Amino acid sequence: MEQPLNYIYQKIETLNPIHGKKLKKNIVFFDARYYELANSFFVKYINILHLNNKTLDYAIDCYLQMIADVNSETVEFLRTGKYSSSTFAEVNQRVYARPETMEYYMHGLIMSQFLWKHHYQMLQYFTDTLPRYMGTTKSYLEVGVGHGLYLSKALEIMDIGTRLTAVDISETSIAMTKSFINDSRINYHLKDIFEFDNHQKYDFITLGEVLEHVEDPLKLLQKLNTLLSDDGVLFFTTPTNAPAIDHIYLFNTVGEIQDIIKAAGFDIEAELSLLSEDVSPERAAKFKIAILYGAFLKKNKSAS
Amino acid sequence: MDKGEILKTVNDIFIDVLDDENVVLTYETTANDVEEWDSLNHIQLVVAIEKQFGIRFTSQEIRSWNNIGELIGSISNRIN
Repeated sequence: MEQPLNYIYQKIETLNPIHGKKLKKNIVFFDARYYELANSFFVKYINILHLNNKTLDYAIDCYLQMIADVNSETVEFLRTGKYSSSTFAEVNQRVYARPETMEYYMHGLIMSQFLWKHHYQMLQYFTDTLPRYMGTTKSYLEVGVGHGLYLSKALEIMDIGTRLTAVDISETSIAMTKSFINDSRINYHLKDIFEFDNHQKYDFITLGEVLEHVEDPLKLLQKLNTLLSDDGVLFFTTPTNAPAIDHIYLFNTVGEIQDIIKAAGFDIEAELSLLSEDVSPERAAKFKIAILYGAFLKKNKSAS
Repeated sequence: MDKGEILKTVNDIFIDVLDDENVVLTYETTANDVEEWDSLNHIQLVVAIEKQFGIRFTSQEIRSWNNIGELIGSISNRIN
């Protein structure tokens, strides 16, 4: 069988040549590990699509629909300097409460995990660093599981005795994650994280690209601080300047993200900033190019 | 402003946004002819052109141009 990646890149190039050109620039940087991981991921993903009577072509269409949305949002963002929505109620009505939108958006996002260089590199950063915390993590929580890719990696890496918990506000997200991961070690909760409290502290919490979806990211980090055990670790990612149909909180710079980390009572253990385009930092600032920021945090014990 | 002047201004915007001093546009130029002209740069170019000429394109227009000549046509219709 033809490798899925070749098929995907060729199909995108046929359907949307100008976007295919952008993707091709990214793949120049990928190594053998990328091809191995991405192809094995897509083989698994195609099986799940087939189980749901869908095809890879359907997922590629979803991805291109998401790209069309991102492009429209980017035009507005560059014109106004703002995201088009700023409240949860707006994006709930526009995206989360519409199963047909969530459906293509989730599939589009899954595809982007291996088609966008910075998404892939962040996943790699997470999977390369997580084993350090294997021995100390008895309880693991992921907030906003999205499509379940990070959770599936945690499940592979974490000790067999680790209890995993997943909280997400979207039924579509939880259903998609369950279709990827069928494992009794995971407890799923369809809940708003601000209403989630099972009287337990977690040794490791993951929050992948969620802060930009909430009105008050500081409040969310403070909430996670209360759910984290004293020596626990929080891994989170969030982008700057990344317009999308459901992004409501705009971080203009990485410095703004680092400020709320400190304000929420955390210290940075390790961090990574990935430019979404291969340009100099000066040009990135001039053209408001997105940066995906990720960090491993610990509680600042001297904070009151 | 005639189309020749618009073309020269647009060429300067391409040089700035694509960070490539060697870009030479003609009315027939397409994205295939300019290596750095990809989907993201297309958006950057559109918004930079809008700002330069003080105009706003429709989303339909942004998707419709097949070459630089058609883009110049859209700009000329708006400013003249």
